[in-house]
Amino acid sequence: MILVLTHINTIFLSLSIFQPASSQADHIATLTNYFIVAAAFILLVVTGLLIYVILRFKAKPGDAEPRQVRRNKKVEAVMIGVPFLMVAGFFIYTINVMQEVHPPAGNQVPDVIVTGHQWWWEASYPGTGAVTANEIHLPVHKKVLLQFSSSDVIHDWWVPELGPKMDMMPGRKTHLWLTINEPGVYEGACSEFCGEQHAWMRIRVVAQRQDEYERWLQQKSQPAQEPQHPLALKGEAIFNLATCGNCHTIRGTAAQGQSGPDLTHFASRTEMLAGMMPTTEDNLRDWLTDPQQVKPGAHMPRFIFEQDSINALVAYISGLK
Amino acid sequence: MENRLMMFLVIGTEAIFFLSLIFAFVYFAFEPGYDNHTWQLLNIKSTGIFSVLLFASSFTFWRAEKSYKKGEVKRLKRWLFATIGLGTVFLFGQGREYWSLLHEDLTISKNNFGTSFYTLTGFHGLHVFIGLVILAIVLKLAAAGDFDEPDSSVINTVGIYWHFVDVVWLVVFTVVYVLPGVLL
Amino acid sequence: MGKLHIPEPEEALPGVELEDNQGLLQWISSVDHKQIGIMYLWMALFFMLLGGLGALLMRVQLAVPRNDLLSPEIYNQVFTMHGTTMIFLVATPAILGFSVYLSPLMIGANDMAFPRLNAFSFWIALCGGFLLYFSFLAGGAPDAGWFNYAPLNQRPYSPSPGIDYYCIGLLLAGSGTVATAVNLIVTVLKLRVPSMSLRELPVFVWMVLINSFLILAAFPSLNAALAMLLLDRQLQAHFFDIAGGGSSLLWQHLFWLFGHPEVYILILPAFGILSEVFQVFSRKPIFGYAFIVGSGMAIALLAFGVWIHHMFATGLGITVNGFFSASSLLIGIPTGVKIFSWLGTMWGGSLRFTTAMLFATAFLVEFTIGGLSGVSFAIVPIDWQLTDTYYVVAHLHYVFVGGSLFGLLAGLFYWFPKMSGKIIPEKQGKWFFWLFVIGFNMTFLIQHALGVLGMPRRVYTYPDLPNYTWMNMLSTAGAFIMGFSVLYLGFIIYKSIKSGKKAPDDPWNAYTLEWLTTSPPQLQNFKEVPPVKSFRPLRDLKQDNPNWQLQDDPWKID
Ligand code: HEA
Ligand code: HEA
Ligand code: HEC
Ligand code: CUA
Ligand SMILES: [Cu+2]
Repeated sequence: MILVLTHINTIFLSLSIFQPASSQADHIATLTNYFIVAAAFILLVVTGLLIYVILRFKAKPGDAEPRQVRRNKKVEAVMIGVPFLMVAGFFIYTINVMQEVHPPAGNQVPDVIVTGHQWWWEASYPGTGAVTANEIHLPVHKKVLLQFSSSDVIHDWWVPELGPKMDMMPGRKTHLWLTINEPGVYEGACSEFCGEQHAWMRIRVVAQRQDEYERWLQQKSQPAQEPQHPLALKGEAIFNLATCGNCHTIRGTAAQGQSGPDLTHFASRTEMLAGMMPTTEDNLRDWLTDPQQVKPGAHMPRFIFEQDSINALVAYISGLK
Repeated sequence: MENRLMMFLVIGTEAIFFLSLIFAFVYFAFEPGYDNHTWQLLNIKSTGIFSVLLFASSFTFWRAEKSYKKGEVKRLKRWLFATIGLGTVFLFGQGREYWSLLHEDLTISKNNFGTSFYTLTGFHGLHVFIGLVILAIVLKLAAAGDFDEPDSSVINTVGIYWHFVDVVWLVVFTVVYVLPGVLL
Repeated sequence: MGKLHIPEPEEALPGVELEDNQGLLQWISSVDHKQIGIMYLWMALFFMLLGGLGALLMRVQLAVPRNDLLSPEIYNQVFTMHGTTMIFLVATPAILGFSVYLSPLMIGANDMAFPRLNAFSFWIALCGGFLLYFSFLAGGAPDAGWFNYAPLNQRPYSPSPGIDYYCIGLLLAGSGTVATAVNLIVTVLKLRVPSMSLRELPVFVWMVLINSFLILAAFPSLNAALAMLLLDRQLQAHFFDIAGGGSSLLWQHLFWLFGHPEVYILILPAFGILSEVFQVFSRKPIFGYAFIVGSGMAIALLAFGVWIHHMFATGLGITVNGFFSASSLLIGIPTGVKIFSWLGTMWGGSLRFTTAMLFATAFLVEFTIGGLSGVSFAIVPIDWQLTDTYYVVAHLHYVFVGGSLFGLLAGLFYWFPKMSGKIIPEKQGKWFFWLFVIGFNMTFLIQHALGVLGMPRRVYTYPDLPNYTWMNMLSTAGAFIMGFSVLYLGFIIYKSIKSGKKAPDDPWNAYTLEWLTTSPPQLQNFKEVPPVKSFRPLRDLKQDNPNWQLQDDPWKID
C-alpha cells in the first residue's frame, strides 16, 4: 500500500501542478490539497453509505414490502447544511487565493510581453531590444509581470509548475504575475485550442538567477552575429534573396519581418518549432526542405531550394547564437 | 387553450432570442472601437413615424379580436385588413430605411454598428413578415367563413404573436434609435 | 374506477392510409408519440456508433506519443464531430426520446398535445444531424471544437465549409428540440388525467417539465450566436472577427449562456429516470419528493447564473470570477440533495439489483466523482491550473457518460420490456454492465492524472514526457473495452427484439401508469385511467384491489 502511494507520489512530482515552483503555484497547490481532502471525504461518505446500503438492504426472498418512509427532516437539514458550510468555506478561501495570485496589473510596465501566434510564442522585453521566441527567460525571486495578447486566434499560457493559465486574446491585453522560486527549466503548452498545430505550441520557461538573467538579456539585446564562414555568408545572401526576411527578423540585417519567429539568436534556443524538436542542423535542414512535411499547417511556405542552398542556409542560421 | 399556451411558450423563447441580439448590440456599444457617427445616419423621425404605424396595428388587431368575440365577422375582416395594411407599410418603411442607409454606405460589413443594426432590425422585420403571412392566412380563412362562430382560439393566439412583435419593436426602437442619443 | 374520456390519437398523417405491416412507411408517416420516441432512440444509437467510432480513432491516435496515423487536420475534425455528435445527436435525442415516449403514458394521455409538430421536430432534428455529417463530403467537417470559439471559427482561420454546416445543422436540430420542448410542456400541463395534480406528477415527468423550460430558455442564445456566425461567414458581418471590430468574448458569453444550461438539459431527465428506477427497485417511494423536485428547479435556475465558469481564464477580474465561482459552488448543493435523497430512497428498502438498478447504483459513484471534479473548477484558482486539460475531458465524461448515459442506460433496461414487448435476459444485461463500467473507468479515471501532469486537451499528439505514454495507452485500452461493450449492447438489443421472450405488462411490479398498458402499448394507450391519488398511481391501484394479480417476475432474486 505504502509502496503504491509513494509510487503515485513520484508520478505527481514529475512535471505537474503538485510540484509548484512559484509562489503563485504554491498558493494554488495548497488550496488544491485542501480541496482533495474535502472531495475525498465527500466521495467516501457517498460510497461508504452506498456500500452499507447495498450490503444491508439487498432484497431477500420473501421480503415483505419495506416501510414506506417519505422524508426525514433531520437528514434533509444535514444534507443541505453540511455541503453549504463546506462550500462557503471554500468560497472564502477561493477569493483569498485569487487576490494573492492575480491582483490587477495597474499601470506597471510589464517585464515581458508575450504574443501568441499560430503556432509559436513571441516574447519581447520592454526597455531592452531583446526579442525571442518559444523559450522565455525569467529571473527568480522577483515578482515579474507578464503581459499577453494574440495576433490571430485565442491562445493560452500554461506552465503547470508556475501556476495559473491565462488566455491570450486578439485585441485584448491580459496579464499574469509570477514569482519563481527556483532556477530551472519549466515546460508548458498552449492550452486553448488554436487550430491545426495547437499540439505543437509548447513553451519553455528558463528561470535564472538575477545576474544570469541580466547577462542573458544584455546578450539577447545585441544584433545578430556577423557570419564568418563562407558557407554561412552564402546562406545570408540566400536568406535575403528568398524573401525569408518578409516574415522573420534578424536584427542587424535587412530582415525585419514580423509574422514569423525572430531568428536573431535562433541557435541559442534549445528547441525549435515551439517544442517540437531539438535545435539541430538535421532538424533545421528537414524544416527548410519542406515545412509542411515537418509541421503540417505551419504558416511558412515551402521554398524549392538546391541541396547546397539549404546547407548554406543551415550554416547561416545555426550560427545565429 | 393549448394553442394559447403554446404561443406563450413560443414567444417566451423568441423573447430570449431577441434579448441575445440586443445583448450583442449593447455589448458593441461599450467595446472600444464603437463609433457613434454611424448611429447619426439613422433617421429617427421617419422611422419613428413608421413605428407609430406598427404600434397602431396592435390597436387594430385588438379591435379585430373584439369584433370576433362579438361575432361581427365583417368587422373582423375589416380590422384584419387594416392590421395587414399597417404591417405592410411598416415593412415598406424599413425597406426604405435600408435603402437609404445602403446608399450612405452603411452595410452589414461596414463596422460592428452596421453588423448588429442590420441583424437586429432584420430579424425583427422577418418576424413582422411571418406575422403578415399568418394574418393573411387568417383573413383568407375568415373570408372562407371559418370564423363565423366565435369559439375558435386561433385569432386570439395569432394576436399574442402580433402584439409580441410590436413589443419587441418598442424595445428595439428604444435601444437602437433612442438610447444611444441619450446615453452616448 | 372513474371513467374518463381520453382523446384518441391519430395514427398517421392525414391522407396516409395505413394497413398492418407497412413496415418502414408506417414509421415514417407516424405521428404516434411512442413510435417517434423509439425513432429518437434509434437515432441516438446510430449516432452513438458514429461518435464512438470517432472516439476510437482519437484514442488510437493518442495511444503512443508522436503518432502520425491521423493528420492534425483530420484529428481536429474528428474530435469536433465527436463532441458535437455526442451532445446534439446522441444525448439530446436520447433524452427527448424517453421524454416523448413516456410523458404521455405517465400522465394518462394518449398522445402529445401536438402530434404532428412532434413528428416534424423529430424529422428536422434528424435532417440537422445528416446535414452536419454531409460536411465530410462537402469539403471538410467543422474543426474548431464543439464550442467553436471565435475567431478560430471565422473564414480566415477555418476556410472549409464545415463550420457553415455546423451552424445550419445545429440550427435545425435546435429548432426541433425547442419545438419538442414546447410540445412537452403543453402536454404535461394540459393533458394530464384531471385527477392528477402537479403534486402527483411522477418524478420523471417533473424533470421533463423543468427540462423543457430549460430548453426554451437556453437554445435561443445558441441560435442567435449561430445566426450571427453565419452572417459573419457568409456576409462578412463583424460579430466575432477581431480585425473588423468584433469580439471574441461575445461568442463565449452567448455560447456558454446556452452551453452550461445545455449540460444540465442532458442530465435532468436522467435524474428523473433514476428516480423512477430507485423507487421501483427499492420498493419505496422517493425520499423527499418535494426536495427532489425543488432541487431540480434550483438546478435549472442556477444553470443560467454560472456560464462564466467556462471563462475563468479569460481575465475577467476578481469580482466577476468571484460571483460565478459562488454560483457554481452553490449548484453542488441541490445536486447533493438529489444524491443523498436517492441514498435515502434505498435506505431501508428491499433492493433488487436488476441491470437497470446496477446502472443506477453505479451512477451514484461515477456522478459524484464527476460532480466533485466540476466543483474543483468552480474554485477559480484550481480552474486556472486545470482548464482545457485532460482533467476537463475526464470531468465531462464522468458527468456525461457516468451521469447522463448511465441514467439513460438504466432507463433503457427498465423500459425495454414496455417499449419492445420483449425481455433482455438479465445475465446478458449484467455482462454489458460490467464491461461498460470497467471500460469506462479505465478510459477516463486516468485522464484526471494526465491533466494534472500538464497534458492539454485537443492535441493530436504529445511529446514522450514521463508517464504520458502508459497513461494514454491505458485510456485507449479502456476505450476499446467500452467500444466492445457498446457493440455487445447493440447485439443483445437486436437479439431480444428478434427472438426474446415476451414481456409481461408489468414485469417489475412498478408504480407508474405506463405499466398499466400492454407491452408494447396499443396505439391508443388508455381507454380509461383510474383516479390518481399520489405520484405512484399504479401502486395505489394494486393496494386498493387486494385481488390484483401480480404477474411473475421474469427475474428471480438470488
Ligand atoms: C451532464 C453534464 C454536466 C454536469 C452535470 C456538470 C456538472 C458540473 N460542472 Fe461541468 N462541464 C460539463 C458537463 C457537466 N458538468 C462539460 C461538458 C464541460 C466541458 C465543456 C467543454 O469545455 O468542452 C464542463 C466543464 C465545467 C467547467 C469549466 C471547466 C473548464 O473548462 O475550465 C466547470 C467550472 O466550474 C464546471 C463545473 C461544474 C459544476 C460545479 C457542476 C455541478 O453541477 C456538479 C454538482 C455535483 C456534485 C458536487 C456531486 C454530488 C454532490 C454531493 C455528494 C454533495 C456534496 C458536495 C459538495 C459539498 C460540493 N464544469
Ligand atoms: C455524451 C457525450 C459523450 C460521450 C458518450 C463520449 C464518449 C467517449 N468519448 Fe468523448 N467527448 C465529448 C462527449 C462525449 N464523449 C465531448 C463533448 C468532448 C469535447 C469535444 C471537444 O473538445 O470539442 C469529448 C472529447 C473526447 C476526447 C478528448 C479529445 C481531445 O480533447 O483531443 C476523448 C479522448 O479520449 C474522448 C473519448 C471518448 C471515448 C473513448 C468515449 C466512449 O465512451 C465511446 C464509447 C462508444 C463507442 C466506442 C462506440 C462503439 C461502436 C463501435 C466500436 C462500432 C463502430 C462501428 C460502426 C459505425 C458500425 N472524448
Ligand atoms: C510567410 C512567412 C514566412 C516565410 C516567408 C518564411 N518563414 Fe520561417 N517561419 C514562419 C513561421 C510562421 C514560423 C513558425 C512556425 C511554427 O513554429 O509554427 C517559421 C519558423 C521558422 C524557423 C524556426 C524558428 C523557431 O524558432 O522554431 C526557421 C529557422 C525559419 N522559419 C527559417 C526560415 C527561412 C530560412 C526562410 C526563407 C527561406 C523562412 N523561414 C521563410 C514564417 C515564414
Ligand atoms: Cu495556441 Cu493552442
Ligand atoms: Cu458549465
